Amino acid sequence: MTSPQDPRHPHINGEMVREASEREVRMLAEGNVDRPEEHVPGVAIPAQLEKLLGFGRSFSWWPLLFGLACCAIEMMATAGPRYDMSRFGMEAMRASPRQADGMIVAGWCSIKMAPRVVRLYEQIPDPKWVLAMGSCAISGNVWDTYNVVQGIDSLIPVDVYVPGCPPRPEALWQGLEMLRDKVKQSDHAYDRVRVIPARAAIGE
Amino acid sequence: MDSTVEQISDALKSVFGKLEEKFGARLLGSSVFRGELTFLVAPEDLVEVATYCKAPEGLGFDRLEFLTGNHYPERIEQPFEVAVQLTSMATNDRLRLKVPLKEGQKMPTLSSLWPAANWCERETWEMYGIEFEGHPNLIRLLTDADFEGHPLRKDFPVRGLVGGRIRTDLKGKI
Repeated sequence: MTSPQDPRHPHINGEMVREASEREVRMLAEGNVDRPEEHVPGVAIPAQLEKLLGFGRSFSWWPLLFGLACCAIEMMATAGPRYDMSRFGMEAMRASPRQADGMIVAGWCSIKMAPRVVRLYEQIPDPKWVLAMGSCAISGNVWDTYNVVQGIDSLIPVDVYVPGCPPRPEALWQGLEMLRDKVKQSDHAYDRVRVIPARAAIGE
Repeated sequence: MDSTVEQISDALKSVFGKLEEKFGARLLGSSVFRGELTFLVAPEDLVEVATYCKAPEGLGFDRLEFLTGNHYPERIEQPFEVAVQLTSMATNDRLRLKVPLKEGQKMPTLSSLWPAANWCERETWEMYGIEFEGHPNLIRLLTDADFEGHPLRKDFPVRGLVGGRIRTDLKGKI
């Protein structure tokens, strides 16, 4: 049985594979194809297994316990008993990025916080999803000043944007539902762009 | 003594009398607003006046509530002002000292009298560019270490037109 292929990922014989690295292309050109790779970054996972993993992940997406400003209050309300994220397997907000599946950037990010946000993002193991919550995280809002990052997507790849000032828990919840759809499809922003904007900005 | 002094409490009247008696003409002025007493002090007299205000045998204002700056561009001669708010924990009285400053004029630190002044002075220096002589660690407190300029000055641009969307150089920081 063949699965409908996701056009974003290269497939060979129904199995999702990664793109060849520059080194592999060079080796292919040099005719060194038989030499084993010393280090293979990433693994080729069959599409069926990826689907199953995505299904599982979507019911236990644990965000990073991380809030920047007033939006974090609404995020806490979403986690609290009235709106209760735990109904959907998101109750375990992990205080360590190593245990998280993604982050909700809730609030405006000052330029002093920017390196920390990038570091936290990079410490989350792949695959990871990012939700930008509130106008400040999306665009800087009215804080077009010396001290505020004008949109968190200039630092890290963002999957879902939830506008509002701050968005109500219902709005955040809709954003999280959209995120869950992406988790089910194993579709995350970094996978598509393969670049972290903050790293690209300094040429790394 | 002007008529507004009548509005303040008896305790503050005694503070007013003692300060006037001890420093007299060296004080640049005083004002009363809604029962709050303020003295204008020259920067070279500040440490002496503050020491007298703090000492138990003096006025006993033992707590520094805050120290902050102000920028008044319309005052051509002395556009800057540092405000020091003092409290007496024993009597619950409050006294404000204000130090008018010229552009680039330095003022002495109060961090040896009140350790709490340390961070207040760092912030005042960072935001207004008012330098505190004798401060043990006058470095930026709130903004990035490589930030340039003093953002609470009135001539600092309100909108951040420089630096693009990130507005900092992340090289070496991430």
